[in-house]
Amino acid sequence: MILHALRLSLMASALATAVVAIAGTLTGWLLARREFRGREFLDALLNLPLVLPPTVTGYYLLVVLGRGGLIGSPLYRATGWSVTFTWAACVVAGAVMAFPLMVRAARVAFEETDARHEIAAASLGRGWLSTFVFVSLPLARRGLIAGVILSFARSVGEFGATLMLAGNIPGRTQTLPLAIYDAVISGQDRTAMWLAVMLTAVSVAVMLAAGRLGRPGSTSR
Amino acid sequence: MSVRRAEGFDVDVVVRRRPRRGDPFVLQAEFGTGAGITVVFGPSGAGKSTLLMAILGAIAPHSGRIVTGGRTLYDSASGTDLAVRHRRVGIVFQDALLFPHLDVAGNVAFGLGATPREERRRGALAALDTVGAREIADLMPAELSGGQRQRVALARALAPGPSALLLDEPFSALDAPSRKALGETLLDLQRSAGVPFLHVTHDLGEAVRLGSDLVVLDAGRVVQVGPPQRVVAAPAAEATARAIGTENLFTGVVRAHFPDRGYSEVDLGGTVVETGLLDVALGRSVALGLRAEDILLAVERVRGTSARNVLAGSIAELSSGTASVEIRVATPVVFRVVVTHEAVEQLGLARGLAVHLLIKAHAFHRLL
Repeated sequence: MILHALRLSLMASALATAVVAIAGTLTGWLLARREFRGREFLDALLNLPLVLPPTVTGYYLLVVLGRGGLIGSPLYRATGWSVTFTWAACVVAGAVMAFPLMVRAARVAFEETDARHEIAAASLGRGWLSTFVFVSLPLARRGLIAGVILSFARSVGEFGATLMLAGNIPGRTQTLPLAIYDAVISGQDRTAMWLAVMLTAVSVAVMLAAGRLGRPGSTSR
Repeated sequence: MSVRRAEGFDVDVVVRRRPRRGDPFVLQAEFGTGAGITVVFGPSGAGKSTLLMAILGAIAPHSGRIVTGGRTLYDSASGTDLAVRHRRVGIVFQDALLFPHLDVAGNVAFGLGATPREERRRGALAALDTVGAREIADLMPAELSGGQRQRVALARALAPGPSALLLDEPFSALDAPSRKALGETLLDLQRSAGVPFLHVTHDLGEAVRLGSDLVVLDAGRVVQVGPPQRVVAAPAAEATARAIGTENLFTGVVRAHFPDRGYSEVDLGGTVVETGLLDVALGRSVALGLRAEDILLAVERVRGTSARNVLAGSIAELSSGTASVEIRVATPVVFRVVVTHEAVEQLGLARGLAVHLLIKAHAFHRLL
């Protein structure tokens, strides 16, 4: 049971972080570099999960993705599958909660790099994607890595929204934080302690690994 | 404004910028220049960088036309607006702005496209050869001196074979010797590349040394276009004189040097003046600038002054402006002096009056 919670936490967080890293980086670049109508509105909307209580975010997710929800209902009718109370719900909840952190980190990271680098790359005949991959990303590398760490940490620790969307089914949708809560509630102090230590170890390991990546010269040219 | 010669830059644009902070700015630039190096000169805020970004394609003009070397990059009438990457216009920034995560060869190879690795490296080394920087191919940008960085930036911009090259004050952060050496390199590069260069500078000497055409910008407008020597020797408009930073322009011959006392003697053509010590051989000609406000005017011979030059002359002309009066004094060389309306009244300044001009030796500055 405990191992399942650990594995679920790691897998769901890794998946959520992967999605958030890509989508958040692109969104952050867009907010940093492009002027468009509704930019500030989009920024505010994306930041909502940061200011709302996680249970409220979870509630909205349920409204949208639940079996009777805006997206959930047609999805259920078409496929007979619903995201609620599955391990995928853990991924969705983690990703939604981590997304604003990644966008914010990416936006700042891109804003701190000189936009003229991108102009220079374009003047050398490079297209948008090539410029983005070979110039924008490497220049913003440190900030982006910090954003990814933060996102992973945020989704590993996700509790409220996960509880709302995925439930707390031991062996199926119970992540480490939920398991700790259960252990404390049912008086299993030793289990709670071991789980807490495990979660701490995961966080420290991630931080160390990320610190290695962030060092200059460690990524390939 | 000037005869259009399609081989250089043919620009006629209106660019409006509305920055998030600060006042909106309008650039209305129209000029045509020949092949070679077109120098854009003007005080800061004149619109030089805006002009460059518009030619590069990084900011969209409101309307107009941009043609470089016969290629139409932008034309609002026909709806032409090439993307930056299709303009084939190279850029060298003031701060070089090399990609910090790539080594020198990697920077120069960046624009060489989808050719095999070996070929790209060969191309990069060849480009570095043309700027005399082959031996630093494996260094990172952070390890380079300012001059080396600009050389690499030049090689990077020229490696893909652009149809024009823009230079945004590339030498302004360098010391005089590097600046001079890079100027020579730039002239060679332009000749061998055979494409028009557009060089922004606020160093008049550099403008005259490098430029085949000089475009003077002031407050978003082109105030004068022409061969640099001619523009400098005869600024057509007050705006040009202001942009150049001087109302009095002289060409003279160096007569004597007094290194121990720190001054030189220059014959301006009938009037000999003392200037700060010049690094020009005896008998050679030199162009000197002098601001009108750096000249004091006296109606009597003044004694015991620290000014090295006390020149006798007579007033040839007075022209009244709103805030001040410009007076031309023949010594016999004509000096333009600016005084207040009050001074004209109190001193009884009038045509033909004998006056003396007081000028510090160091008020003369060398232009080229």
